[in-house]
Parts: sequence; C-alpha cells; structure tokens
Amino acid sequence: MNADDWLRTLTAELHQRRVAADAARHVVAEAATHLREGGGDPWIVFGPPQQYAGAVVESIGTAPGPRPGPVRLHAAGITKRYGRRTVLRDATLTVRAGQIAAVVGANGCGKSTFLRICAGLMSPDAGEVTVSGRLGYCPQSGGTADFLLADEHFVLVGAGQGVARGPARRAGRAAARQLGWEAGGDVQARQLSGGTRQKLNLTMSTLSAPDVLLLDEPYQGFDQGTYVNFWDQLSRMRDAGTAIVVVTHLLNQLDRVDIVLDLTPAHETGRHAPGVQGGRP
Amino acid sequence: MNRLVTVAEMTLRELLRRRGVLLLLLLMPLTFYLIRRDAYLGQSVRSLLLGVGWAVSTAALFATTAARELEPRLRLAGYRPHHLYLGRMLGLWTVGLVISVPFFLLPMIDGADLRYGGLAAALLCSVAVAAPFGMLIGALLPRELEGTLLLLTVVTVQMLIDPAGSGARLTPFWSSREIATWTVDNTDQGYLSRGLLHGLVVTALLALGVAAVASVRLRRRRHLRHLPVG
Repeated sequence: MNADDWLRTLTAELHQRRVAADAARHVVAEAATHLREGGGDPWIVFGPPQQYAGAVVESIGTAPGPRPGPVRLHAAGITKRYGRRTVLRDATLTVRAGQIAAVVGANGCGKSTFLRICAGLMSPDAGEVTVSGRLGYCPQSGGTADFLLADEHFVLVGAGQGVARGPARRAGRAAARQLGWEAGGDVQARQLSGGTRQKLNLTMSTLSAPDVLLLDEPYQGFDQGTYVNFWDQLSRMRDAGTAIVVVTHLLNQLDRVDIVLDLTPAHETGRHAPGVQGGRP
Repeated sequence: MNRLVTVAEMTLRELLRRRGVLLLLLLMPLTFYLIRRDAYLGQSVRSLLLGVGWAVSTAALFATTAARELEPRLRLAGYRPHHLYLGRMLGLWTVGLVISVPFFLLPMIDGADLRYGGLAAALLCSVAVAAPFGMLIGALLPRELEGTLLLLTVVTVQMLIDPAGSGARLTPFWSSREIATWTVDNTDQGYLSRGLLHGLVVTALLALGVAAVASVRLRRRRHLRHLPVG
C-alpha cells in the first residue's frame, strides 16, 4: 500500500467512523503534508490507517449521526425447523431507516435462513416480517448468470423496475465504481474472479435503490481495498436513509453497525434466547 | 412487455454464447438423420424431428436449471413469475426455430421427396413442445443429471413405442411423428389434423405445468407484508 492508498483508506475510515467532513478533510490534508515533507512509509510514520483513524476519533470525537427514521423492517417471532432440527427460534429484529444491523452467529445457526425469510424467499414455521418500501437482496453466492455480461445483468435488473437500458447500465456502472470496479467490457460473469463476481452480485442488489437492503456475507473474495469501499458504501447508504441488514461473521466490524442480532443458540452462549438485539446505541 | 422481451433476449444471449451446446444442438438431429439415411426415408425424418425435440428440451432443461438461483432475486427486482417463465420460453422457442432452419433444408438438399409444408409443421410442433417440456423437467428436478436422465428415458420410450398404440399418444412428441407420417408417406389429412391438435394440446398443458410450478416456487410468501414507504 503506497502513501496515496494509505490516505484513501484513512479517508474512508474517517467517513465510516462518522468524523465530521471538515475535520476529516483537515486530518487527511495534514497527514498528506507530513508525508510529502517528511517522507517515509505511512505505515511506519502513522501506523495502520484503521488504527490512526481510531486515534483521531478518540481525540476529536465524531459528528452526531442522523437520527434513525421510521421502521423499515420488522421481523417478529421467526421460527424455522428443518425436520426435527430447529434452526431459528423466535428470532426478532427491527431495523429503522438509516440503520445497519448485523446478523451474527456460529456456522449453521440460521443466519442465511433468517435473511431469506426476511426477503420472502422462504417461509418460516412461525413469525411475520413487515417491510416498508422496496427490498434488495444479495445472496451469499450465485444469483448471477454465467454467460451474461455485467451490463446485461444491470439491464435485466433495471427492466424489472421499468428502467430503460441506458440508465440501467449507467446506474450499474456507477454503483460498481463505488466498489472500485469498472464494470463495462466484454467479460462474462463466469470469467470474473470470485471477488469481482461478488461485486456484481452486490451491485445488482443496490441497483433498484432499495429502502431495505439484505446482504448475506456479500464480501466473500473481496480484497482489503474493496472491503473498505464496501463498508464505505454501506455507510453512505445508511446516511441516505437505507435500512441495511448484513449477515457477517467478521466481529471486528460490529462497532460500525447500529444493531447486532446474535443467532447463536442459547445453549452455546449461555444467553436466555437467541435473537437478542444489542450493539451500538 | 418489456420485461418479457428482456428475459427472452437474455435467454437467447446466454444460449448463443454456449458455443459447445449450440454445436451439440445442431449435431444431435443431424446424427439422428444420417444414421437412418440409408434405410427408409420416413424413419430418417422421424429421427430428425425427435433429435430436434431432444436438443431443444435439453437446452430448456439447462437454461431453467441455470436460472434457478437468479429468478428469486429477479422476482424481488420487480418481475412477476409469468415474465420469467414466458420470457424464457419465448427465448427457447426462438432458439428452436433458428436451429430448425438447417434441418428443414437438410432433406431438401438431400433430394428427399416429401411434403415440405408438413415438415415445417412437424418441426414447429417439435420445438413448441420441447421448450416447455424441458422447462417443466428443469423446474421439477433441481439437478441437471436427473433431468437429463429423465429426458433420455422419455425420448427412448418415444423412439421405441408403437406409434399406433394408444399409449403412444401420451408421449410428448407424438404430434411430430404423426405429422411426419403425413409428410413422408402421403397419408390422409387425418394424420396432419391429429398431429397438430396433439401438438397444440401438449404444448398448452406443458406451459400450464411450467406456469403452475413457477407460480408456486416464486409466490409471495404469506408471512411477508409489504407496506408503502411512509
């Protein structure tokens, strides 16, 4: 990572941690000046950008985030059994406009099942889900057509919303650019790397400007830069009022979310019941 | 209408990019035709029609299986189930018609003396039946191998069954066989009418089957309530 990459990552980190825009600009400009005049590797001078951003936040604080809006997703009492095995028992989650919720838990605890139930792709044995507005869903894998180009995926998704081809292509490319990917070109989905294919998957789910966005571990195969861009994009969408639910097992990201739903069964955690909500106030 | 056409177009694009599949689609009816060429012409033409039916069914099966993961998210993106299955069917019918053209010309180039209007009708019936037939198998059986084996069984039964027996009418491609008899053997008009009617009824029943399975699989679930943005 060179000095420019380091500064870019720092900028994204400050944005995600909700440092006021003017203060963030000032910090980055100062760091850039220091590096230009003093030289040296930013990793040695300042340390990792995430760590430096953390130190900045401790020092100058953060701007107050926008107040969460009305409830966009309310899942209540979701229970799902596969045969005799109960994977979800009475799981409940409420997400408001402008909030990010993380669904966490051990492997096989029903995270993806919960998300598919919220998306209406699977029926629960009990419980209800209420969604206000348009729903977007990004599966963990699959969900793309092997022999179609990225642009054709955008046209296909766009047509579902009645969007014309040109605007759909432009919107898709712009959304892909947010993840550091230039989506145009004659490359079929099957020829994309795993990470780039996942960017296509994610781009498709955001294309319809959803009010509620459900993401099932969408960052598989992402490199560090893309991963930072991904959370940066989520922060922007949250600030624009989207309610986001992310299935994740990367616990180091939990400080960036507003709500945590832990689906680990009670007997494994010692908690009273799964589906406990917590997280950042 | 735009959604339907877009799904049809993307189905067409996907299939046209599968060059290996396209080659096999063309090779299969050709092999079926050539293998019977030295024998009775009627057998050769009937094999050709069965080859076209089998090839289009297989393409439909693979297209349906490949779209299994994509369709639920397209449903969320604003498509209704009928946009998805009718659009795909439309795309497959187009591919079927395109690959039928060389097989309409093949007996002509080969100098076969037959009713070419009948050959065109038989090819149309083969393609019309094959697309929803392959789609229905693809919708009912989630794995390609199982679907392919079922298709193989049906085509083998179709090939071996006595066409005059009552059971033959239950096979999906009986219509094209009946029309082929009128085409090659100059039989009475009844063969053509029966064939066309059978083709029409079977296509409609298979399309209804596809519609039923797709509507169940892509239905709006009762636990999910949508509210407008307040």
